[in-house]
Formats: sequence, structure tokens, C-alpha cells
Amino acid sequence: MSEVAALVRMSEIGKRYGGVQACREVDFTLGAGEVHALLGENGAGKSTLMKILSGDVTDYDGQIEINGSPVTFNGPTDAQAAGIAMIHQELDLVPGLSVADNIFLGRELRTGWRTVDRRRMDREARALLERSGVNLDPRRPVGELRVGEQQLVTIAKAISLDARVLIMDEPTSALTTSEVERLFVVIRELRRAGVGIVYISHRMEEIAQVADRATVLRNGQKVASFDPRKLSTAEVVEAMVGRPVQTMFTTPDAATGDELLRVEDLALRPRRPRPGRRDPDGISLTVRSGEIVGLAGLLGAGRTELLETLYGVAPGGPRSGRILLQGKEIQPRGPRHALSHGIGFVPEDRRISGLVLFHSILANTVISSVPSYGRLGVIARRLERAASIRMADRLRLKFGRLQDEVGTLSGGNQQKVVFGRMLLTEPRLLLLDEPTRGVDIGAKAEIYRLLGELAGQGLGVLLASSELPELIGVCDRVVVLRDGRDVASFRTADSGEGDLLAAAMGERAVFEEAGGLQ
Amino acid sequence: MTDVQDKAATAPTTPTEKSGGVVATLFRFQSVFGLLAVFVAAIIFSPRRDGEILFLSADNLANVVRAVSEIGIIAVGMTFVILIGGIDLSVGAMLGLAAVGSAVLMVESDWGLIPSILVVLLIGLFFGALQGMATAMIGIQSFIVTLAGLQIARGLARIWSDGQGVAIAYGDGPNEAPDSFALLGERTFGGLVPIPVLIFAVVAIAAVIFLRVSAFSRHLYALGGNEKAARLSGVPVIRVKIAVFAICGLLAALAGIVHAVQLNQGSPNDGIGYELDAIAAVVIGGTSLAGGRGSVAGTVAGALLLGVLNNILALNNIDSNIQLLIKGLVIVAAAALQRLRPAS
Repeated sequence: MSEVAALVRMSEIGKRYGGVQACREVDFTLGAGEVHALLGENGAGKSTLMKILSGDVTDYDGQIEINGSPVTFNGPTDAQAAGIAMIHQELDLVPGLSVADNIFLGRELRTGWRTVDRRRMDREARALLERSGVNLDPRRPVGELRVGEQQLVTIAKAISLDARVLIMDEPTSALTTSEVERLFVVIRELRRAGVGIVYISHRMEEIAQVADRATVLRNGQKVASFDPRKLSTAEVVEAMVGRPVQTMFTTPDAATGDELLRVEDLALRPRRPRPGRRDPDGISLTVRSGEIVGLAGLLGAGRTELLETLYGVAPGGPRSGRILLQGKEIQPRGPRHALSHGIGFVPEDRRISGLVLFHSILANTVISSVPSYGRLGVIARRLERAASIRMADRLRLKFGRLQDEVGTLSGGNQQKVVFGRMLLTEPRLLLLDEPTRGVDIGAKAEIYRLLGELAGQGLGVLLASSELPELIGVCDRVVVLRDGRDVASFRTADSGEGDLLAAAMGERAVFEEAGGLQ
Repeated sequence: MTDVQDKAATAPTTPTEKSGGVVATLFRFQSVFGLLAVFVAAIIFSPRRDGEILFLSADNLANVVRAVSEIGIIAVGMTFVILIGGIDLSVGAMLGLAAVGSAVLMVESDWGLIPSILVVLLIGLFFGALQGMATAMIGIQSFIVTLAGLQIARGLARIWSDGQGVAIAYGDGPNEAPDSFALLGERTFGGLVPIPVLIFAVVAIAAVIFLRVSAFSRHLYALGGNEKAARLSGVPVIRVKIAVFAICGLLAALAGIVHAVQLNQGSPNDGIGYELDAIAAVVIGGTSLAGGRGSVAGTVAGALLLGVLNNILALNNIDSNIQLLIKGLVIVAAAALQRLRPAS
């Protein structure tokens, strides 16, 4: 491809969200007929960069040129008009509508009578799907499809737009191996037709197979650009994580106590399997009291599902294996049951699963422990307030009054409220799912400090995170999950982010070299 | 709107927050101010006789609250259900069933006062609990469950009464209700306060206190505000739901007993459409149909507002169809005001 006639040229792109610099002076080019892989950890700035290109983010620094002429997008519609289509990670399909209806949503084909021409839509949808290598009835409602099939429908939809630039954000996260193969055939076809493709993925082997060029972002900056076929996984991983581990982490002291939690070969077969879930399929691990154990793994590795199973909120179905809490076997039946055994849970999305945003800080803080502040079902308001204030002090919560709506707090302070609620139940074991997602640096550091303090008091912590520095910095040990199984376990004292990433991606060679396999 | 919030959160002592506070207060007591406005309007537009404002006469005011008491009792129960994001369409039919039950048990079966009332209340409690189970454990939306419950309760009422209204005669003989039952329809406090109004007041005050001091109410509000978060926090979601529908059924049955006293009969067709009036009172009272936000005090104000409105329109001999139009507009206005509420 010639550098002069690049299809897309983004120059010195910058974007700041509040105090976070998501992108800093990033240059990115894409040629016609090129597949350009974009790599980086979560939060490295990949999504932001692509949202700028697809018109989702409109206030940024820098310049975009399409075919050599500068453009300004005021929204996704402008970008689409310029021939840029994005396949989002969150599938934007209407579940109740058919495959064909979804593909042609908003630009339905009409008959001479201006009515919707279903027959032509079905026919064309079928042709499109076949081109994408899928055998699907275009009349089936999208809601009935597996997530992988839905992913293929969004790809077919994007292709039907006849885009010149196609952005694929983790398009294979829910696909089977054979579906991935077929997708690659389609990608190669598009490449021959001169379409430029941006391919975001965490899977190294895919990138080596399909991409012509790869760019690595780290902390919002471009750190490397290379030919993916010529570089080893180890080198790529190093480029992605290559930074000194931050000093903000409280180094855990290894003084841990007795075994608190033991999970033996845990597997769950849900009666009604939900697409996109990866339920435990043979997981063994232990957590000692005073120990912080990390759960690493790619998207869809089954981290959240494991925590949900331990907290008793996984879908029903036969399970095998054992869960032992302080040597006694338990069958977690639900949150109340788990809490009564001293197991607390901080869910992944505090806004959806954690808080009642329009209720007060007080009400949100005490909700799990409220019956203990009174007698005969009557709340002693004084005790309730006292507990709430105690917790706010301990967590260094920044707030105005306890009656303020919790939704007015910053993300980090909201998360502290969820933590405080769990701590008021006096748990022995804390299950944390991405506890620092969407939390600013300062609050992150405070959460880490708190975790260290809790471990010091003998609590066991199981922490699922997709941020490798966090896992390495905070945890004593990290268990890596892949496809619902535990595939490796590392002591963080003698392993690095590269080991975790390699194990999570299934690059056996790398972590065997690193000596991390146990 | 978010500006007001942010300022309130970050700078709690600025004057901006204070004025925001006034606005917030106005909205919070929206239904009370609405009630005051309608009350003043009623005085202004009241017909007068010999210079006396008829609306303000003791008899008329007693009638206003008496007319409100049944809907008011039901609306208190409805507030609980709507606070958890549900709805109960069966309350009108339950009122009919309870009215029939009271009449049949006392008159035809010659049960005494206390057993009859207890059994009728238990029927309401049990019926509500069943509906709560269906929605909480099977996961059917409460709209559907209680729509079915409405048909079932109405059907039961007709079967129990053979489709006829059962007249209540008082006396000591067979097929006569005890005189003590009639007392429930009398007035007390020197003939000023009808006992149905007293019952309504006791129910409302008990509910207000209950929602202020009970641990249960924290669970109830949390469940209505975010069911998923409530469940993960250890709120006994199923138990709370069943209890709430049971309370609503119980209060509907209580309203049915009051209804039977006031009409001296139990008719299986009584209470048709009461569920909608009760919902209207709750909505005017500022309780969010989405759940998690609202109060019984607001509902009481809402019920009174509707009562005053009905009364003043009737005093002026406004055509009853026009009355419906005006009521409809008031409900829309109340709902529209809630959309403007500053706090999210």
C-alpha cells in the first residue's frame, strides 16, 4: 500500500475523559485492502481511537483524512456516509426482529407499493449470510440465536453497508473455531475487494493469521507497529505490558493463615444455558485467610461466572465438584445464604447490579445489614447512621451528607459504598468482580489499600480483574482461567504480566519458557 | 437538572443549593400543594346558601372524607405494591368479594361479628399472598397475575352471592347481622368523624410509621429501586414481594368490609374500577410507577385531592361525564409534574 493514498490517516489524535488521557498523539493509518490489527490492554485506548474514527466520539484533538481529504464527523451517520462501519463488541441488534429485518433495519427494501419487500430482503439477507459463510434462516428472530451467530449477523450487516472501512472490535469473542475460520475467509475476500479493516483482538494466533500490520497502544499512546507474522507472541506481549509495575500497589505480605475456601473441580451444567456464558467446567483453587487471590482470563473465560457460582446466583442446573468453606462443604443457594456464611460479593457493574442510584448513601450502605440495627424489625436510626458513618470514614468516602443520592458520587466513591455495604456484613471471604473498573486512580489506590488492610485482618479475597498490573500488584497469587477451567496458577512474586497474558491467551510455549506453569 | 445535583453534592452550603432545596421541597410535597390548591379552588367555587360556604360545612367535609375512605384504604395498599415496581389490579374485585363475604357470613351464615371480619380479612391476606407468590416465584408480571386475580375474585364473589346483592339487616334474630357491625358506619367524636374515615386514618398513619421505622421498608424500597442490586445485597426478594401483595389484599378486604357497612349490603359487582382510582391516587401522590420512590403521605393527599375534586364538581352540578374529563386531566398534570422533578 502506498503511504500517500492511505484510505484512512489519523494524525496526532488525542482525547481526554476527565482526568484520564485516553489517547495521546496517536497516529494511525489504514490502507485499502489492508487488515490492520490494533492491540493493547484494556484501557489502552483502542476503543476510544476507533470510536473517534466511527464518529461516536466527536470532540478530540488531531485530524482525520479519508483518501487524502480532511474530514470532520459530527456523529456516526457522517462516518457511515464516508463508508466507515463499526462492528461493536456489544451487539446492537433488536432481539425480537428477524435476521433479515435486523440487517436492513432503517433501510428496508420496498416494493412498488412502498410496502416492505420481505421476499427480497430475505433473499438478499440469505445471500449476504452465505457470503459470510453462515447457514442461517434469515427469518429467524435474532433473540433465538447464539451469541456467536448474532456476531456473524452483525458482520453480515456491516458488509451489507458496502463499507470501505470496517472496524471489528473483538469479532471472534463468541465464535467457534470453524466460525472463526469462515470469518477469516470473508475477511480475505473483503481485503481483495479493497476494503480496509481494523481488527481489534486479544488473540495472538488470530492476528498472526489474518493481519498485515499490527499497532500496539499502551496508556493511550502508540508504542509499537510491526508485521505480526514476524514477531513472536512474547515480543508482542512485552510491547503491550512493558511498563514498570506501578508503585501504587500495596505489596502484600505473604503471612497468610489457614485455608478458607477450597474449590475442587467445580463444574456447572445450567439447565437453560444462556448464550455467552462460560460456566465453570472444572475449576479448582484455594484461598487462604489473609490471602488475595486473583482471577485472570480473557473476556468469556468464566471469571464472573465462577464468582456467581460461589455466591449462589449462577443459573440452576446440576453441578459437580465441591466448594468447601473452612473445611465444611457448602452449596451456595443465594446471596442471603452466602452472606450468612460470611461470603460477600461486589458485582461487576455497580450501576446495574450494585446500587439504587436514586436512593441515599445511607440506604445503600446499610441494605445488607439493616436488620441488625434494631429489634423486632424496627430500625434504630442512630445505630444505622453510626454504622454508615463508621464505614464512610474507614473507606475515606468523599460525600456531602448521608442523605445525598448515591448517584451523585463519583464512580470510585460509589464503589466504596458497595464495599462498605459488604464489610458491614462482616464477611470472611470477599468475592470481587472488576472492583476498580471505571474508578479513578486515586480511588483505585484507596481500594487497593483497603484490600491490603482487609487481608491483614485475615479476610480472604478472590479478585477477578482484566487489568494485569492490578492482578500482579495486588494479589499474592493469580489463577488463570480459560474456557471455564483453571489453566495456570502463579505466585505474583515471581511472575509478570506477560506470563498471565500468555496463559490466558493459551500460548503454551511462552509460559513454559517463562517457567510459570505449575 | 444535573447542575443542581452536582452543586448540591459538591458544595452543600452554597445559596444555589438552598434554592434548589426549595424547588426540591415543592416537588416533594407536590401532592400536598396540589391538595391545597384544589381545596382553595373548592372554597372559591363553592355554592353558597345564606352566605355560608357549602363546601366548608361540617357535613360536607365529613362526606368528602367518607367518600374517600374506601379508595384511600385501598390506595395505601396499592402504594406498597407500586413502591416495589408492581401493580395490583385485583383490589376492586377483592373489595367486592370482601363485601359479599361480610354480608353472607353475618347474615346468611349467622357468624358473629369478629369471626366474620377475621375470615374476610384472612381471605384478602391469603389471596394477596397467592398473587405475590405467582409473581415472585414463577416470575409472571404482577400486571398479568392481578388481572387474572381480578377475574377470579370477581367470579368468587358472584358464586358466593349467587350473583345477587346480599342485603344486611340488623338485629339479634337469625339472618340478621349484629348491631355492632352497623356501628362501624356511624360517626364518632361527637358525631363529627365517620368511623370509616377513622379506619382510613389509622391505616394511613400505621403505614406511614411502618415505612419510616421498619427494617422491612428498607428492603421494600431497595427492591423497588433496583431489584437486581437488592437481591445481590441479600434482600429476601421473594418474601418481600409476597408480604407486599398480602398487605395490599388485606387492605382491599378491609375496604370491602367498610363498603358493606356503608351500603348495608354486599354486592358482587361493587368496587368495579376502584383499582384505577386507587392507582390514580398513588400517582397523584408522587409515587413512581417504576418503583423505589414515593410515600403513603403523598397517596393520602392524592386520594383527598380526588375526593375534594369530585365533591366540588358535584356541588356545582357539573355533568358527571365532564367530571371524568377533569379527573383525567388532573392525573395527567400530576404525572407531568413528576417528569419535571429535579432529582433525576
